[in-house]
Amino acid sequence: MNLTVNGAACEIDGSALTPLLDVLRDELGVTGPKAGCHQGGCGACTVLVDGEPRRSCLMPAGYAEGAEIVTVEGIGAPEDLAPIQQAFVHYYAAQCGFCTSGMLLAAQAYLARGGSDDHESIQEALAGHVCRCTGYAKIIDAVAAAARGDSFDLTTTAVGKHTTMATGGAE
Amino acid sequence: MKVVGARIPRYDGVAHVTGRTTYVDDVRVPGTLWAKALRSPVHHAAVTKLDTSAAESMPGVHAVITWEDVPLLEYGHLSALGIPADEPLLAKDEVRYLGQPIAVVAAESEQLAAAAVAAIDVAFEERPALLDVRAAFDPDAPKIHQWGNWYPHFENEMDRRQIRKGDIDRAFEDADTIVQGVYRPAAIEHAPIETQVCQVVPEPDGRLTIYSCTQALYFSLGVVAAHLQQPLNRFKLVGGTTGGGFGGKVDTATETVTCLLVLKANRPVKWRWTREEEFLCSSTRAPWHMELATAVTRDGWILGQKMLTLHDAGAYARFSPYGLTKHSFHHTGAYSIPHLHFDGYVVFTNRVPTTAMRGFGVTSVSFAVETHMNRIANLLGLDPIEIRLKNANRIGDTSPNGVSYTDPSTVDTLKAIADAIGHELPADYRTMTNEPRSGELLPEHLVAQVGSTEGH
Amino acid sequence: MAVASVAVDAATETMVPGSEDEAIAAFGDGVGVVVVGGGTIVVPDLTYRRIRPSKTLMLGHAGLAGIETDGAQVTIGAMTPVQDLVDLPAPLGPCAANVADLEIRSQGTVGGNLCAGDAPEAPRGDLQGAFLALGATVRFAADGEVAEEPLEDFLGEHSGRLVLGVSFDEPAAGAFAGLDRPHTHDYTALAVSGAKGNDGTLRLAVTGAGSWGARLPSAEAAAGDPEAAGKAALQDVSPRDDALASAWYRTKVLPALVRRVLTEMGASS
Repeated sequence: MNLTVNGAACEIDGSALTPLLDVLRDELGVTGPKAGCHQGGCGACTVLVDGEPRRSCLMPAGYAEGAEIVTVEGIGAPEDLAPIQQAFVHYYAAQCGFCTSGMLLAAQAYLARGGSDDHESIQEALAGHVCRCTGYAKIIDAVAAAARGDSFDLTTTAVGKHTTMATGGAE
Repeated sequence: MKVVGARIPRYDGVAHVTGRTTYVDDVRVPGTLWAKALRSPVHHAAVTKLDTSAAESMPGVHAVITWEDVPLLEYGHLSALGIPADEPLLAKDEVRYLGQPIAVVAAESEQLAAAAVAAIDVAFEERPALLDVRAAFDPDAPKIHQWGNWYPHFENEMDRRQIRKGDIDRAFEDADTIVQGVYRPAAIEHAPIETQVCQVVPEPDGRLTIYSCTQALYFSLGVVAAHLQQPLNRFKLVGGTTGGGFGGKVDTATETVTCLLVLKANRPVKWRWTREEEFLCSSTRAPWHMELATAVTRDGWILGQKMLTLHDAGAYARFSPYGLTKHSFHHTGAYSIPHLHFDGYVVFTNRVPTTAMRGFGVTSVSFAVETHMNRIANLLGLDPIEIRLKNANRIGDTSPNGVSYTDPSTVDTLKAIADAIGHELPADYRTMTNEPRSGELLPEHLVAQVGSTEGH
Repeated sequence: MAVASVAVDAATETMVPGSEDEAIAAFGDGVGVVVVGGGTIVVPDLTYRRIRPSKTLMLGHAGLAGIETDGAQVTIGAMTPVQDLVDLPAPLGPCAANVADLEIRSQGTVGGNLCAGDAPEAPRGDLQGAFLALGATVRFAADGEVAEEPLEDFLGEHSGRLVLGVSFDEPAAGAFAGLDRPHTHDYTALAVSGAKGNDGTLRLAVTGAGSWGARLPSAEAAAGDPEAAGKAALQDVSPRDDALASAWYRTKVLPALVRRVLTEMGASS
């Protein structure tokens, strides 16, 4: 099966039934999308499939064939953050960060279809995404700010380096 | 103040929004085996048979562990605080809660590990389950714990936390009425978006590197070392990145078992819990049963309080004695009540063992006391904020265990609440402060409880 | 390289037909075949090893999606995502909008929803009530033969039958009233749909009061008086306790939902 992931063409083995989430994380080493429940209930696994937000834990890999998949790693890098990522940093919209990947992509798709800074519309777009840390208010503020096109001075809230855990070796 | 109120960077903020934060399941080590657990399907039973041979001989299975593989089977989470051990790492001879781990398999894939778990030959003889803390005290209640149905090892071998202050009988005689209430908050599942997970790697120098989502690195290190009877420096614990914990990731729920699998299989192992396991078998905030009887006067003074607390510890003690202790120190909430009669029990039931969660031991009391205050106000026909302001802790008032408050913020908080909700207060309440009680705010019944009035 | 956490048995054969004819042929008599629509129900069942099929039929590329209108008749393909229904008139539109969230609606399909009975925690065929109220007909294949049947007869009897599509006539009026969900990942505990045909036929249907959506004939008979109809509806259901709501609560709420639907339809006609 052939997919494009964050712009890179990938060929994947295995059953067409394997959830896309597991193909991304286990076979391709793309660990941005998270497994929060493996049953579609939390939104941590959401990726963009041809620009549309989809639960990757529910999507058989065979249904992603030929599609362009974008994960959180594909919307911006530390030295070049997308507006929605900047807004999340500025508004402290991530605490533990585990729901953040899915939230960002759902928000990104919302903005791409012209979403406004109306809080109810934002809530509707992000309704499937569970966060246990922030209480959602900062997330909604961040999406609203990005919808308005606010710009931020990130020098006070972003740092150049970030923590990673040393691994035993690359897959 | 340089930091409070200022914008400062989150050191992990950029990593979180770019998907670069490495959580335990993102750590990928070549050769990793995957773990699945055999868990008790019933609340309470004897294990009459446990034969793992079929699982062990399945292709792709590298290790199966049971209680026999654990060097020190029982190690108390709070052994260092003198709370003795009562919980086996893996069940031996009996199971005491639905979901209790009995055996764990490490295999080439999670699917293979699950198939191997299904192949373990295990049999149970069910026993009556105790699921209601109130029933624990019945003479014919099933006995479900080697210590009896409630924790008996507080100091001086007390079987409860007990507070006696002042003269409760006098308070009840002097009262205009007694207000009663029973408060029973249910268990709460932490439900972090990241489930329990652990990755352990055997290093060439004989050490084990443990990637853990624990909230309490050094604590977990000690627990692992104790169960495995190894020196602390045998382990390198890599942590600090947790996808939500809220108190639910302090039980060292996966690290020890994963290490044992690594030692037996001589391969890296990862154990990650499904969301179903997280809901079914991970520890929760405890359910509580609290009975309050409060002696009050017509004009809203609280003279005394009788309280009985039953804390549902689930099948094993873990941190419950500590939680109940905190609860007992705070059992009057934000209010100064001079005459007290408190008994609190850590009760065992055949449920998942309970653990810490934000405000461990104290949120239960806040819920009970605040709801009870509203009940008192309703019954007396008094304003719910005014009655609180009157009885609120002030400098020099003492806690249930006799500690003087040096700068309690109850008065200011209540006034801010009234302001925020547009609740008008009379002038004499609007001007209240937390200064030591005097005049009308120091009626006779509060005099004896006043301690040191040195404020901040 | 073996995918370490692969949920799928290597032994499971996957069939991916490229057309309706291929799908019908691959399905055959359906014995031992698990049909995968959007995957929202089947994929978690596979992941959690609740089902371990020897054969799966994946319909994502079989061209079974789409909404067609021919005069008054509306035909909806089995693989149409629920999201595609949200702008349709009541009851179907608001019923669809009340399902899950945008992402799950975009992945879940009409066909899957019509074949969905009980989840462990609650009934899950949220669209069934709206389609029943519309007097819908199901087009399906069994053993290579294509046939049609009223949805009422089809619900719960889908074994051995492959849903291809569902059709109904545009109603003259329609309404939907459902309990709010605590969170989008919950099914709807109770909902009532109503529709009035151009010939004056009035249908009312409920979901959440049993494993499958069902008509409310006693309420329909009393439809002239919304209050009486609400009470009468209780004769048509035996709700159960489940994770979402108690039977008691459902019996309290059902009359109110029936009243709301009838009042709304009465106001619009």
